[in-house]
Amino acid sequence: MHIPDAFIPMGQALIYWVIALVFIVLALRWARRSMGEEKVPLVAVLAAGIFAIQALNIPIPWGTSGHMVGAALAAIVLGSPFAGVFVLTLVLLVQGIIFGDGGITVMGANIINMGVIGGFIGYYGYAGIKGVIGNAYAAAFIAGWASLFVSSLLCAVELAIAGTFPLVPALTGLGLYHAVIGLIEGGITAGALYLIASARPDILEHPAGVSA
Amino acid sequence: MERRQFVIISVAIALVIAVAAPFLASGDPDGLESAFFSIYGAKPFMGSELDEDAAGAAEEQVVAATGNDFSYEAVMPDYSIPGMDKAGEVLAVVIGTLLALVLVFAVAKVSARPDN
Repeated sequence: MHIPDAFIPMGQALIYWVIALVFIVLALRWARRSMGEEKVPLVAVLAAGIFAIQALNIPIPWGTSGHMVGAALAAIVLGSPFAGVFVLTLVLLVQGIIFGDGGITVMGANIINMGVIGGFIGYYGYAGIKGVIGNAYAAAFIAGWASLFVSSLLCAVELAIAGTFPLVPALTGLGLYHAVIGLIEGGITAGALYLIASARPDILEHPAGVSA
Repeated sequence: MERRQFVIISVAIALVIAVAAPFLASGDPDGLESAFFSIYGAKPFMGSELDEDAAGAAEEQVVAATGNDFSYEAVMPDYSIPGMDKAGEVLAVVIGTLLALVLVFAVAKVSARPDN
């Protein structure tokens, strides 16, 4: 879902950068207040894992492929939507600058879609759904799926405003493809949460809370 | 599991994925590219045949529409190293994974809440 430079006019791209910077500042404030030094290696490892898994495009039907984004997982594991913003911002920076994956002028939009939306829908979706159904892994699956699906809808709206895509085909196209790619996001989010909860339950900011 | 052991195993898993990704990853357009190609008539919405000429034309059309002609030469474009084939792709993803690890470690270290 990495938007390339050509897809959004420069002026609009700048507005997305300003909005993204607000969330980046808030993410740094979250880190200063709530991310203890003992979490630093875990945050770095999550970023490395997210970078690697993002390179693994999995085929879906219709000649299309998709990969995990990972903001929901970071937010759930570290217990804050801003963790998703923190990790994804830096991952997108490496992807854009070193690998040309996702534009430079439009990086703000990509940070909003994947980091902010991914982090917030992932975190609050997980917390809310877990509260209702009680199963952390089912909640992580649904929240991971929803984080990607909602990101893609916002991306569609941005590209409609940009004049790149007409709104309805953008929503149906991006929505349908990402409704399927979201299954990858949900599956890996739930699987990774299970592995972390099994290996080191103490590093989860909020316990997964399912007795083994 | 020891914390140190957990971190090492996790980095190892990330590197295994990084090495495997260029061999396993699908080269099909991603969800955004697919939507783009189908809206611009280069690919059926639910089909897989991509018309390369129409795809190239679509990319020119979109630059004309948005006026954003910013272009940037990445060091390792599309996770590859110019002049190298598969080995270059493996190296690119491994370098990216390690870069993400080191960069996020450094930024997290500087911005974390001090333990005291």
